Amino acid sequence: MQAATNLISNLGAFVNQYVASLGAAVRFGAAAAGFGVRGLFNKRIYPRHDLIVQMDYTGARSTPIMVLLGFLVGASLVIQTTPSLARYGPAELVAGVVGVSILRTLGPLLAAIIFAGRVGAGFTAELGTMAVSEEVLALDTMGIHPVGYLVAPRFSAAILMLPACTVLFDMSALLGGYLVGVYQFNIPHESYMDITKQFVSLSNFTFGLAKSVVFAVIITLVCCFKGFNVKGSGMEVGRATMQAIVISLILIIFSDFVMSMVYNFLSKVGVVE
Amino acid sequence: MSGDIKIELPEARRDSHLRSDGPAISVRGLDKSYGDNHVLNDMSFDFERGKVYVIMGPSGCGKSTLLRHMIGAEHPDAGEVLIDGIDIHAPSRRVRDEARRKFGVLFQSSALLNGLTVAENVALPIQRHTDLPQSTIDLMVKLKLELVGMGNALDKYPYEISGGMKKRAGLARAIALDPAIVFYDEPSAGLDPVMIGVIDKLIKDLTSKLGITSVVITHEMPSIFRIADEAIMLFQGRVVFRGNPEQLRTSNDPVVRQFMNGDPEGPINAPRQLSELSERLIGSNIQNQMKS
Repeated sequence: MQAATNLISNLGAFVNQYVASLGAAVRFGAAAAGFGVRGLFNKRIYPRHDLIVQMDYTGARSTPIMVLLGFLVGASLVIQTTPSLARYGPAELVAGVVGVSILRTLGPLLAAIIFAGRVGAGFTAELGTMAVSEEVLALDTMGIHPVGYLVAPRFSAAILMLPACTVLFDMSALLGGYLVGVYQFNIPHESYMDITKQFVSLSNFTFGLAKSVVFAVIITLVCCFKGFNVKGSGMEVGRATMQAIVISLILIIFSDFVMSMVYNFLSKVGVVE
Repeated sequence: MSGDIKIELPEARRDSHLRSDGPAISVRGLDKSYGDNHVLNDMSFDFERGKVYVIMGPSGCGKSTLLRHMIGAEHPDAGEVLIDGIDIHAPSRRVRDEARRKFGVLFQSSALLNGLTVAENVALPIQRHTDLPQSTIDLMVKLKLELVGMGNALDKYPYEISGGMKKRAGLARAIALDPAIVFYDEPSAGLDPVMIGVIDKLIKDLTSKLGITSVVITHEMPSIFRIADEAIMLFQGRVVFRGNPEQLRTSNDPVVRQFMNGDPEGPINAPRQLSELSERLIGSNIQNQMKS
C-alpha cells in the first residue's frame, strides 16, 4: 500500500515537474521568437553588431564543413546506389535518386544535424557558462531581458543561416554526386542532367528549405533554453550541452517525419506538387 | 591604489536619494522553502537610506537566498520586498524594471560579460536605459571607472584583469546609473587583505559621499567592523541579531558569540555535527588504543 502511494506521489511529482518545465520552455520559446522579431527593428533589444557576429559564427564559419561533408555525402550516395540501380535498369537513374533524396530529406536533415553539433552545442556551452557565472542574472538585474539580449540575435542568425547552410550542403552534395556519376560510373553528362531535371522539381528544394527553418527554430530554442537553465558548476554545462544535442536531434528527426507526412498528404490532395 | 579614489559631486546631487520618504528597502514576511528546507522564515526588516548594512551569518543561513529575493532573482513563497516602495516581485515586468533601476548589484563573481570590454560592460546599462549620445556615455563610463580607480583599464577584457580589478569594474557597472541602493554579494571573496581594504573604502565612500544605501553580504569580520553602520545576522532563516558593530561585539547571543569567535562548538549546526562525528571517530580510536 505504502509502495503504491509512493509510486503515485512520485509519478505525480514527475508529471508536475515535466509540465512545469514544458511550460517554462514554451514561455522561453515565445519570448525568444518575440524578441527575435522585435530585435530586427528595435536596436535596444540587442546591439546590431551582435547579429552580425552570430551570423558570422553560425553561418560563415560553418561554410567549410557544410561544403566538405555535403560533397562527401553526395559522392558516397552515388557510389553506393549506382551498382544496385544498374542491376535493374539504367544507372543514370541515380541522378534522380540523389537529387530528390538530397534536396528533400538528406540535405536539410544532415545540415541541421551538423549545425546542431557545431552551433547548437556552442550556444548551450556559451550560455550555460554565462548562467553559472551569474552573467545572465546580472543582465536581468540591469533591467536587460537576457532572452532579448542573448537569445534573440542567436535565434535570428540561426533562422537566416541554417537555410543558407542547407543550400550550400545541397549544392555540394549534388556536385559530389554529379562528379562521381559522370567520371567514376561514366554516365554521360547530358543524361545525368536530363534525369535530374525530370525527377527534381523546385518544390523539392523549397520544401527542404522550409524544413531547415523549422530545424533552426528547434536547435536554437532547445540549446539556448538548456544553456539558460544550467545551475551549479561547469560540469553541469557539459551535461546540459549533451542533453541539448540529444533533444535537438530527436526533435529534428521527429519533426522531419511529421513534415514529410504532412507534405505527402498535401501532395495527395493536390495542394502541393 | 586607494589614493586614486576621488568622489566629487555637487551638493544638490549628494542628497538626491534621501529626499523620498520611507525606507530604502523593506522586507515584509519573506518566506521561502526548497522542499523540506525552510530557508527564509517569515523575515521582516527595513533598511534606512544612506547607510551601510551588513548581512552576515554562517554558511547555509539564507544570506544568498535573501539577496536573490531582494534583487528579484527568485520569487518568495510568501511576503514581499519593496525597493523604495516598489514591489520587486510585481507581476508586471515594467514595475519590476522600475524597481531594478533603483539598485545596482556587485556579484560575487563580478559577472562582467566576457565578450565585452570593461568600458563596454559599464556602458551597457547606460545605453539600455537612456537616450544619451555615445560621447556622453563614454564620458560617464570613464567617470565611473575613475571613481573606482580603474581609469586605465577601459579597453581590457574581463579575462585579462585580476579578481580585484573585476570587482571594481563590476562596482563601476553597478553604479553606472547612479542607483539609490547597491547590493554587494561577498565583495571580499577571493581577494587579498589590501584589496579587501580598497573595496571596503569604496563601499564606505560611495555611501557617505553619494548617499547610496549599501547592503553587503559578507562574513569577513574586519570588513564588518570597518564598514557597517548596522549588521544583521541570519541563522536558520531568521534574523537573530540586529545592531551596530559595537552591539555586535558585546552581544551575548550564543549564535552571535560562536560566529564571532569562530568556535567549532555551539548552537550553529553544521560544525557541531562534524565535531560529534569526529569525536566519535577519535574517541573510539583512543579507546582502542587504551585496550591494546
